[in-house]
Amino acid sequence: MLAEDDHRQDSIQAGRTDTQHGRSIDTNDAANIVLFLAAFLGLWQLVVALHILPDTLFPSPASTAASIGKLVANGSLVIGILTTLWRLVAGFAISIVIGGAVGLAMVKFRAFGKTMSSFAVGLLTFPSIAWVPFSILLIGFNDFGILFVVVMASVFSVMISTYSAIRNVPPIYFLAARNMNAKGMALFRHVMIPAATPSLIVGIRQAWSFAWHALIGAEMLITTLYGLGHILSVGREFIDMNQIVAVMITIFCIGLLFDRIIFLRMEEKVRTKWGLNQHSGE
Amino acid sequence: MALTDSQYEGYQEKEHEQDLDNDSDIISSTPIVQVKQVFKSFGYNSNSSSSRSRSGSKPSHEVLSGVDITINRGEFITIVGPSGCGKSTLLNIIAGLDKPDSGDVSARANDGLSTVRGIMIFQEGALFPWLSVQENVEFGLKIANIPKHERTKIASRYIELVGLTKFSRYFVHQLSGGMKQRVAIARALAMEPEILLMDEPFAALDVHTREMLYEELVGIHKTTNKTILFVTHNINEALLLGDRVLVMSAALRNIRKEFAIDLARPRDLESPELYELKRQILVELEGDLQQVASRR
Ligand SMILES: Nc1ncnc2c1ncn2[C@@H]1O[C@H](COP(=O)(O)OP(=O)(O)OP(=O)(O)O)[C@@H](O)[C@H]1O
Ligand SMILES: [Mg+2]
Repeated sequence: MLAEDDHRQDSIQAGRTDTQHGRSIDTNDAANIVLFLAAFLGLWQLVVALHILPDTLFPSPASTAASIGKLVANGSLVIGILTTLWRLVAGFAISIVIGGAVGLAMVKFRAFGKTMSSFAVGLLTFPSIAWVPFSILLIGFNDFGILFVVVMASVFSVMISTYSAIRNVPPIYFLAARNMNAKGMALFRHVMIPAATPSLIVGIRQAWSFAWHALIGAEMLITTLYGLGHILSVGREFIDMNQIVAVMITIFCIGLLFDRIIFLRMEEKVRTKWGLNQHSGE
Repeated sequence: MALTDSQYEGYQEKEHEQDLDNDSDIISSTPIVQVKQVFKSFGYNSNSSSSRSRSGSKPSHEVLSGVDITINRGEFITIVGPSGCGKSTLLNIIAGLDKPDSGDVSARANDGLSTVRGIMIFQEGALFPWLSVQENVEFGLKIANIPKHERTKIASRYIELVGLTKFSRYFVHQLSGGMKQRVAIARALAMEPEILLMDEPFAALDVHTREMLYEELVGIHKTTNKTILFVTHNINEALLLGDRVLVMSAALRNIRKEFAIDLARPRDLESPELYELKRQILVELEGDLQQVASRR
């Protein structure tokens, strides 16, 4: 939306419809999460207490917590998180820009779109970790090598979802808008993009998860001095299971945070506005 | 001209009616749109695969074949015809959303905002689901870079005209079918076009809602004196609303006949005049059907 007041109107509107469901779901969710966590920790502790697995190889919740504390205290966890997040954001941003631009070009030039889409669909199923050797030799053991893998993992997903989201916009929206004199940039901004948004968000969410998977993998294999993946492989080298599990938990939390807080929220907001949520369990 | 011929054939009482309706004839004597010898085919060049398969070995599928229509300022014209005979195509061409292969459409509308010839109201689904009612009605004004406070004012006025002020913050999915079509009408009117092009706008509505909307549309036509071109499947609808009913033919790919109706609105379908007109239109449509069938 363009003007500020439009924004205000949007949020008021969305807020009005959201809050009733929103709040009750939030409190329910919180309670469920606490319950689930308690059960999970209890079970974990139980397995440890029964000594089913050797103590050195199967850390207890307490020793894992201690390891997290140690990693936080010496700063490596915080630096690791920041490095990894920076790579994630940068790589994903590059994917969005390139994937979005190529996706638009695919819509604009039909023949190119047809060829490119079969090519990109092929690369979509290509395991991103298989880019690693290529990237190491071509670029080297550095941030750019990692970014390359992240971009390759997610750019095709952004491309394909941009392409198909726009192509699936009902033509009647364009007819109606053109009839009201919208052309060029205005048509793009005020019709094409908003009309494609619901499916675009789904695609972008998926691309993000591809980027995230690839990033941790690449960080483990393309050794630099920082990053969560790096701490993970250091843990393996020193056979420090506490550290491995500590980092795994961190990775899990970051993934969850992004997906739930950013993408799911965005998706829900759009779906509510469009009325796509009518039949989901409310 | 073909038009005058069919006028006389179609309506014997024409002379008598003309006397009664003198002043409206003065208004309507200025043509606002002229469709001249418009031809349109869909074929291999078009990107629709359905037309390709349907046309079989023929290189293209002709939909309009030399259509001539003159529409006078302030007229309410209804078009009836069998499904697939090219009514939407004709309307799109008049709106400038599609180009004729040959022939031409000239309009003398001095539309304040638009370079287009008329604003379309579609059967359904043309409102933008990502915008509220208010924002939908403001859409064309925003495109025309009209300042926010002004477009709010204009949009609110038309939303009020269609009786939806209370719902201006609603999103499209929160509205009933009838409300949606009212919003579409408000959105079209907000562009302040001289010509409204309506493509089966009420076809998806129930009878009761439809009748209410007839009344509203007739009221809008009366107060704003817009020129309205209204496509429908429904003969009753065409008879209740139109100053002229154009019967479109699938066999001729053209206007088959036209009937002038100089009766005041609201009209009574049970009246002998409309009853007779309906019979004549049905004869035309039946004839068209047989003509199409005999070609196969
Ligand atoms: N974009 C297109 N490409 C190919 N063929 C088309 C296209 N649009 C319409 N046609 C064909 O042109 C013919 C007329 O279509 P049109 O939509 O104008 O009919 P209509 O009279 O509006 O029908 P209905 O009453 O069902 O809406 C149909 O046979 C249709 O298949
Ligand atoms: Mg049609």
